[in-house]
Amino acid sequence: MATTTAYQVPANLSPTAIANTSSLLRIVALALISAAAIASRLFAVINFESIIHEFDPWFNYRATKVLASEGFYAFWNWFDPTAWYPLGRVVGGTIYPGLMATSGVIFYALKAINLPVDIRNICVLLAPGFSALTAWATYMFTKEMKDESAGLLAAAFIGIVPGYISRSVAGSYDNEAIAIFLLMFTFYAWIKALKTGSAFFGTVAALFYFYMVAAWGGYAFITNMIPLHALALILMGRYSGRLYVGYSSWYAVGTLASMQVPFVGFQPVRTSEHMAALGVFGLLQIIAFAELVRSHVSSKQFRALLFASVIGLGLLGTAGIVGMTYKGWIAPWTGRFYSLWDTGYAKKYIPIIASVSEHQPTAWPSFFMDLQFLIFLFPAGVIMCFRQLRDEHVFVIIYAIVASYFAGVMVRLMLTLTPVVCVAAAIAFSTLLDTYLNPEQPEEETPSAAVPSTAAPSETSSAKKGKKAAPAPATLAELVSNATGPESTKRKTGIFGLDTRLLVILNALGMLVFFVWHCTWVTSSAYSSPSVVLASANPDGSQHIIDDFREAYYWLRQNTPEDAVVMSWWDYGYQIAGMADRPTLVDNNTWNNTHIATVGKAMSSTEEVAYPILRKHDVDYVLIIFGGLIGYSGDDINKFLWMVRIAQGVWPDEIQEPNYFTRTGEYKIDDQASQTMKDSLMYKMSYYRFAELFGGQQAVDRVRGQQVPKTGPTLDYLDEAFTSENWIVRIFQVKKEDLLGRDLKSANSFDQGKKKKRSKPSSRRRAIL
Amino acid sequence: MWAKCTGDSVLVILEPKLQKDSFSKFFSGLEEKGYELTFRSPKDVKPAVIEYDEAKFSHVILFAPESKSFAQDVTPQSLVTLLSKHTNLLIALSPRQTPFTSLAAEFSLTLPPPGTPLISHFPTRNEPATVIPVSVAPSDILSPGLSPVWFSGVPFAYQNNPLLVPILNAPAESFASDSESDLGADALVDATDKGGEGLWAGSQLGLVAGFQALGGARATWVGGVELFSDEFFQKDLPGGGKPGNEQFASDVAAWTFQESLALRIDRVEHHRVNETVPGQTYTTNDQVVFTAYISRFNPVKSTWEPYSGIEDLQLEFTMLDPHIRTALPPVRGAPGKYSVTFRAPDRHGVFKFIIDYKRKGLTHLHSSTVVPLVPPRHDGYPRFLSAAWPYYVGAISTSVGFLLFSALWLAGDDRASAKKSTKTE
Repeated sequence: MATTTAYQVPANLSPTAIANTSSLLRIVALALISAAAIASRLFAVINFESIIHEFDPWFNYRATKVLASEGFYAFWNWFDPTAWYPLGRVVGGTIYPGLMATSGVIFYALKAINLPVDIRNICVLLAPGFSALTAWATYMFTKEMKDESAGLLAAAFIGIVPGYISRSVAGSYDNEAIAIFLLMFTFYAWIKALKTGSAFFGTVAALFYFYMVAAWGGYAFITNMIPLHALALILMGRYSGRLYVGYSSWYAVGTLASMQVPFVGFQPVRTSEHMAALGVFGLLQIIAFAELVRSHVSSKQFRALLFASVIGLGLLGTAGIVGMTYKGWIAPWTGRFYSLWDTGYAKKYIPIIASVSEHQPTAWPSFFMDLQFLIFLFPAGVIMCFRQLRDEHVFVIIYAIVASYFAGVMVRLMLTLTPVVCVAAAIAFSTLLDTYLNPEQPEEETPSAAVPSTAAPSETSSAKKGKKAAPAPATLAELVSNATGPESTKRKTGIFGLDTRLLVILNALGMLVFFVWHCTWVTSSAYSSPSVVLASANPDGSQHIIDDFREAYYWLRQNTPEDAVVMSWWDYGYQIAGMADRPTLVDNNTWNNTHIATVGKAMSSTEEVAYPILRKHDVDYVLIIFGGLIGYSGDDINKFLWMVRIAQGVWPDEIQEPNYFTRTGEYKIDDQASQTMKDSLMYKMSYYRFAELFGGQQAVDRVRGQQVPKTGPTLDYLDEAFTSENWIVRIFQVKKEDLLGRDLKSANSFDQGKKKKRSKPSSRRRAIL
Repeated sequence: MWAKCTGDSVLVILEPKLQKDSFSKFFSGLEEKGYELTFRSPKDVKPAVIEYDEAKFSHVILFAPESKSFAQDVTPQSLVTLLSKHTNLLIALSPRQTPFTSLAAEFSLTLPPPGTPLISHFPTRNEPATVIPVSVAPSDILSPGLSPVWFSGVPFAYQNNPLLVPILNAPAESFASDSESDLGADALVDATDKGGEGLWAGSQLGLVAGFQALGGARATWVGGVELFSDEFFQKDLPGGGKPGNEQFASDVAAWTFQESLALRIDRVEHHRVNETVPGQTYTTNDQVVFTAYISRFNPVKSTWEPYSGIEDLQLEFTMLDPHIRTALPPVRGAPGKYSVTFRAPDRHGVFKFIIDYKRKGLTHLHSSTVVPLVPPRHDGYPRFLSAAWPYYVGAISTSVGFLLFSALWLAGDDRASAKKSTKTE
């Protein structure tokens, strides 16, 4: 041996054997990672059942059913008359069809080989399946950054990291389920195209970009990340033919392809969000042209020419974009975009965006919750990238900076941060392992006194520990093969002895173990709840299922006419459509602010004001969520202020937020509640007959922790139709116009046998006198 | 036997004070028309008007203007319930206050204070001032050319309710008062002024009023039950001649029991022009044909007959607001058929074909048919627009240019490079 080693390594292995073994180990490790990724996402199915989760997935599921039963063209042209009643929704033109198309293809493919699988099961298991692919794509991506061992680590991280699991558990049938895979693979293909200057990989990147565009609105992230990377490379003076070929083929093919998605249409050439990509494309052409000119003219001429042309073209391009924006050819930035820069913007101008909890700024603990020790390794990994700073490392650095910012602004964008954290952390971690597993010792050291027999078992045991340790032998083998090879340079720095190595490696392994522990715990306890079904613990520790939502939705399905229109706050639109199969006024596709504000107005007005609105929209039932009885905090009274705010945005004269607070500015529902609050339809529906439930005792709202007035509100224009077991869902029926043309309030008091005051003759008679 | 429009079972709740015989002409007139009359007194428990949540009779005549107590199943509330179950009501009032005085208010009729009958001293006659001959204004409900009718009872004021159908109004010189003597005229004016209600007087007061409930049932309020009595049927008018009471009572009963002026929409159809099958959905800008078939009840033949007599029928094509409101004229040569062709608006959404025809005295016609109006299919748009020629030319020229370039490049490569190489060398 040329150098001293800390422990004995087998010396007589042929390089082929090492390569074969390491590739086998890699395959096995990837397979295990995939299995772990899928398995950990099945908590939801095991703890509850195979059910679609949350809100948006219900729409995706419903759309997929249409696709599976009626074929692609019917789906493409699907106009849904039951959503946004009576406006309807052109579903084919307002969705990203990638998710449904994916499920449809899988469904038909399985059918073609005579495997009839229920479309629901495909939908439920799509996200776990794609998480395995994400792990693979991350492996490929990280491999380009460092090496296979880092790739395997990154794959393992992304496979089980809660930040990604939160969006991809079984049943979470949402666009993000496939989008992260597409994101990582597009980036991989882009890096590959950049490294090799291959038009083929540029086109692959474009095709996956197209798939991404078809699948998720977050494609704008790629649309801006790749140009940003290209621009950074240009500014760093790293322009090359490879960059030109890779970027041009990606942009040209990708943009043309993305315009085929109806929902996107001409946006890539008409909106500001896409202008960066176009601008960088133009810049690359100019630079390429300049390079061409430079190779033909003398350098002095060229400098003058370059100076004039760059300035001229730059001015021309900027003026062009500004002018076109001014003329309205290019849409200015949208509000959603502004809300990324100014976190207070949405609250001021677009309450509908601010009202979504996942659009709130991220709290610090959630970084740890979602990423655990990766968040510590993340900066280290980014710094590692600086050490080599190849073109692809610039990409990771930019990605890290941009995604960190966005993740801080919106909880939801934690998802885009997660992959780069996994990549960077894997780079850092694998560098650590490389350093400490390297058996070479610095030259000056006296021959190692370590006993090889103790080192070998520790190595094998760590290999057995699981997939994360799997890369270690491969790396080691390579290092050893390097060491045993012709290379003979002496190392000046390094690690001495075995004890240091063991200490650090064991510590690192401990971190990994805790990471797995943490991920499993978070996944099972926090991210696997379908939110359609709630779970609570009985006193004896057993699970108690609260199934009010489905109870109520099935009641609607079975007891109301098929065309009965249900009004609810938009959060529940998709679920009502999916589970109760009834037309809804508004749903989670919040495309029409005025329509939502109309519902908000109806909810926050008095019965007399709300009734004409309800009748005009043919509303038969009003559905509300009320958590006061069992303490379900996500109920409509807690969301009520958003309804008020959104309604106020459209009718500032009729709805005013301050009226809903007590005189001291508190949001209360007890005796001190303001009169406007007490008269609002939402308050009345929520607490209708609530006090009766307590049989004379003081009624207490468990969410607000306030005492409810003993004489509850009365309803004249609505009838209570259904209240679920735990009162979470309450459904009210809207009364028809009175038979005798009276207003329903007096009709109601007549029905209750109250004596009407003897009315005086109408003024018409008096006018004659 | 004549089968009636909504059924022929009639319950007559008759006060014991009123003799059945004294209304024999009215009742036998109904029986001649084919109604099956069942009598019971207000306090009888049987037969119940509503049993197991179902109305037991098609029509109810409440001739109990002075009864104060009723069996449990006859309350103001139960009568309204009856209306909602499509039972028609004919209710007689009197100057005395009964449970049904308050019910009148629910029908937008205001009664004067208790004990104030209608009084008129004109024309001069032998009868007391409370027995008044009232001339009948022509109305669709009544037969044309009716003689004045005898009336005795309480007037009421109409409130502002479009569902009310005045049938008989008080004479202009009549008034309501609790004192029948002429001496107290000034006191009367004083008293009414104090009450703040003004004088209960004049032709604005109603005596017989119909009410067209939204569910389709009809109710008629009559100020005095004597109007239907044999005595009033025969009593000569002051100027001589028979009164119109008999015919008037028969007409009022016919209207109340939905014999006359009863319309219905048999069915509605809609389809695209040049098609016959109704569309599940329509595309924006389609030419759509809408047809309604309307019948009217013929009491003589007791059948529904196609009816083309409505000239002001309208059709609305509505999404939140009417996007199209157009006349729905009768089709010549096709009785009962009303049809219109129109272009669907250029706006997708869930639209409704709405017929909403409400006229006083006539049955309300209401029909609402929901139909989604969808944007064109992806292949439903026009192809090869002339406006798109620049793009076609661009695409074609780029393709041709690429082909030419490739051909030239491939074909000319060798020679060019050879030339170049020779030149440089």
